Amino acid sequence: MPKLRHIAIAAEDPRAMAEFYKKAFDFEEVGRANGVLADGVFLSDGTLNMAILKFKTDQLGKGMDYRGLHHFGVLVEDVEDFTKKLESLGAEHYIDRVQQQESQGGNYFEKKFYGPERVLFDIAEHGWAGAEPLPAEVKEAAE
Amino acid sequence: MAKLRHIAIAAKDPDAMADFYVKAFDFKIVRSNDGPLAYGHHLSDGTIDLAILRFKTDQIGKGLDYTGLHHFGILVEDVEDAAKVVEALGGKHYLDQENPERTGGFEVKFYGPEGVLFDVAEHPWTGTEPLPVVVKEAAE
Repeated sequence: MPKLRHIAIAAEDPRAMAEFYKKAFDFEEVGRANGVLADGVFLSDGTLNMAILKFKTDQLGKGMDYRGLHHFGVLVEDVEDFTKKLESLGAEHYIDRVQQQESQGGNYFEKKFYGPERVLFDIAEHGWAGAEPLPAEVKEAAE
Repeated sequence: MAKLRHIAIAAKDPDAMADFYVKAFDFKIVRSNDGPLAYGHHLSDGTIDLAILRFKTDQIGKGLDYTGLHHFGILVEDVEDAAKVVEALGGKHYLDQENPERTGGFEVKFYGPEGVLFDVAEHPWTGTEPLPVVVKEAAE
């Protein structure tokens, strides 16, 4: 079974927001974003990657001043297989990972889709920084 | 360490949206409810609760027509201790679970920085992983 491994929050001040969650819940900082899509901070609770980002494009169609939960990400066994499945269910492909992010180290989204009601989500098969990998039995079953 | 264990999406049609994520990712519906705050379904990937809800009140100040990601939830060792820390850091208490017998969902809701809403609970959301044993032992 795929696993929820990423949530992203749109923030005006990602560093201040990240400090709050680090202090409140002991989440650990696992990276910084400084890319074409967003600047911000990546936190981890040991299982999920929590991205707190100031977005540079309006991915949701809610305006650049939107603040709050933004999208989530699902770790899958095979991005291409899930791309076919998602599109067959009516999801709309939005973008693929951009090259600039690969130079930052760590792993992030690989494809973004709009699901029902234009809810944005990512899929990845290499996982997000600080997030748990898929359980071994899931990966073995896919091989 | 506390754990992220809940993500809630505001939907106009929770039935159809839940069906999509069940089919797409094999998530399981672990609870459906129609309460005073929302109607909808809770899905689980075995670790995290993904709630797909039609809200009945405007919890995030974006209007009842808002659809999209809504709030998240954190499983903690002790809600009272967590509340003190959150409030000391400037978080604002919003709402308590009215039914003290009702576990498996939120227990307290807070607004964090920039008005971002999140839940705190010390009982795991239905169908989700409990805190790792080492975390619970350390708190005892």
